[in-house]
Amino acid sequence: MDDLTEASNHIHTLRAQIAATETQLGTLKLQLQQAEHPSLPPTTEPLSPPQTGIPAEWTNATLPALQENVQRDIAQRLRQERGLEDAPTIQAASQRRRWPLATHEYSRYGRQLIMPEIGLRGQLHLKNARVLIVGLGGLGCPAAAYLAGAGVGTLGLVDGDTVEESNLHRQLAHATARVGWNKAESAKAYLSSLNGNVRYDVYKCHLRPESAVEYFGDYDVVLDCTDHPTSRYLISDACVLAGKPLVSASALKTEGQLIVLNNPPAPPGDATGGPCYRCIFPKPPPAASVLSCGEGGILGPVVGVMGVLQALEAIKIITAAKPMATDDPVKPTMLMFSAYSNPQFRSVRMRARRAGCAICSSEATLTAQSLTSGSLDYVAFCGAQASVDIVAPEQRVSATTFSRLPMGDNGVLIDVRDETQFGICALRESVNVPWTGSAERWVQSARDVGVDFEDGRQMFTVCRFGNDSQLAARAITETLPSTINGASAKNVRVKHIEGGFEAWRKEVDPTWPDY
Amino acid sequence: MYYPSSAVTQEVMSAPKAPPGRFTLLYFAAASSFTRRQHDFLVAPLPLAQLYDELEKSYAGIKEQVLSSCALTLNLDYVDPEEEASKGEKGAVIQPGDEVAIIPPVSAG
Repeated sequence: MDDLTEASNHIHTLRAQIAATETQLGTLKLQLQQAEHPSLPPTTEPLSPPQTGIPAEWTNATLPALQENVQRDIAQRLRQERGLEDAPTIQAASQRRRWPLATHEYSRYGRQLIMPEIGLRGQLHLKNARVLIVGLGGLGCPAAAYLAGAGVGTLGLVDGDTVEESNLHRQLAHATARVGWNKAESAKAYLSSLNGNVRYDVYKCHLRPESAVEYFGDYDVVLDCTDHPTSRYLISDACVLAGKPLVSASALKTEGQLIVLNNPPAPPGDATGGPCYRCIFPKPPPAASVLSCGEGGILGPVVGVMGVLQALEAIKIITAAKPMATDDPVKPTMLMFSAYSNPQFRSVRMRARRAGCAICSSEATLTAQSLTSGSLDYVAFCGAQASVDIVAPEQRVSATTFSRLPMGDNGVLIDVRDETQFGICALRESVNVPWTGSAERWVQSARDVGVDFEDGRQMFTVCRFGNDSQLAARAITETLPSTINGASAKNVRVKHIEGGFEAWRKEVDPTWPDY
Repeated sequence: MYYPSSAVTQEVMSAPKAPPGRFTLLYFAAASSFTRRQHDFLVAPLPLAQLYDELEKSYAGIKEQVLSSCALTLNLDYVDPEEEASKGEKGAVIQPGDEVAIIPPVSAG
């Protein structure tokens, strides 16, 4: 990263030197002209062909304004437009060329360039923008693709994971041939072929509290395309501390959420800034209730549409022509997408900054120091998702041992996965009683489908990974004694299969579907 | 923990209008998985501060497992049950015909 920054600085310096020298050359030529023809009035007429593509008489009025706008940091501009920061000194229009964009850029971006929402000004803003995308999965792939396509100058790509085959149905920037690659690297390969004019900064690592604020400082807008509460709180905190607007989206199963946070990115304690993730969701969900896409499932277009919308919001922030009009606290809307509902899209107004917010209020207890020192433990805050370990040793059986047991009349196998997974693959003669989170409800469902807990047979529970099967086993031992007249708990014998069907596939049947 | 996906109503349907004397409660994401419903019609008026206790009666465990981390909207505007509770009698009251939405954070992506 340091090397890239150094190279970038060097290029920047060289460009500035060339521009300054060209300006000096122009001035010298003008002086020469005046010395040779003292009778002519001084002229602002460009000497060589018109340098900007803008009529000469407009050049001086238009170009400095254009470049001044473009060269400002976007987050800084958002703050300035809200009166949160002093205006910058207007830089000299030193980088004049004949046309502000390269010839090929007019044709590549022409379809959006002619939109009044974008125009030349917006395209130049995009070209000068630096956007950081954290997570190159189902959200990050489409978001990055559209931002690269739109001609964002620099895209930072952060991901420490590797591409897996199960990603490819939705993470379209990756490819079958790149399974096993780092996701940021793989995304860069795709994006480079899409648009080679964009600079891609690749960070092959997970975002860490120690460095997040520093990373964010180099960018104008941050996109949260991650998949866990820990990273969502970290990214939001770092955006508040670094003063950057955050475009946050998420998706699971058939639903998605989208919200623009910390926009405008006022400093902590300034109530006119946009709220942060903690303002909306001050308490993280219980760790046990958090589902990943691997656990809960995800429909490709659902997460895709959310990622595309993130790109759209980022483009709107980058190209915004006018400051937000009001001094009232900003209340952003959350867009909720629900693929199987009607209406599919719903917009609800969220709140302004929360008075007691831990990071963005005047009572903030979290600072950049909390992050860089590592004293803020996001994993502890969100609760570690430990694997379930609640049944006694004698209530466990390995997949291998289970495979050698005679079944038939001697035992009952209860598969506690949901009906959909049971429909994908199941063991013969197993009974499907999906675990639903409530012991009483589950035991009742089991009895409803004819499971007789009192017949003295050995019960076995199995699930996908060996967690829910423990909960079900415990439900049997803890719930039944109180619900069966006259039967004692000792008559009920239950074991869960350790490691579930994942262990079954590894130990017993390698052809078992690895979904 | 898993909830059977097929238990969540999958057919395309919008929430019908609440019958007289009731308000519409919409469930999203984890709230929908937990209740296995997309909406309920509850009796109004109901002080907003009492909504979660009311739901706990119908769906044991929902308060701790789902509601404690949710965002809540009343007629499309964010409301905070704790803030409303702190206002005492001046806190918001859900009226017949209102629409309340329970919005758990979705973090996957």
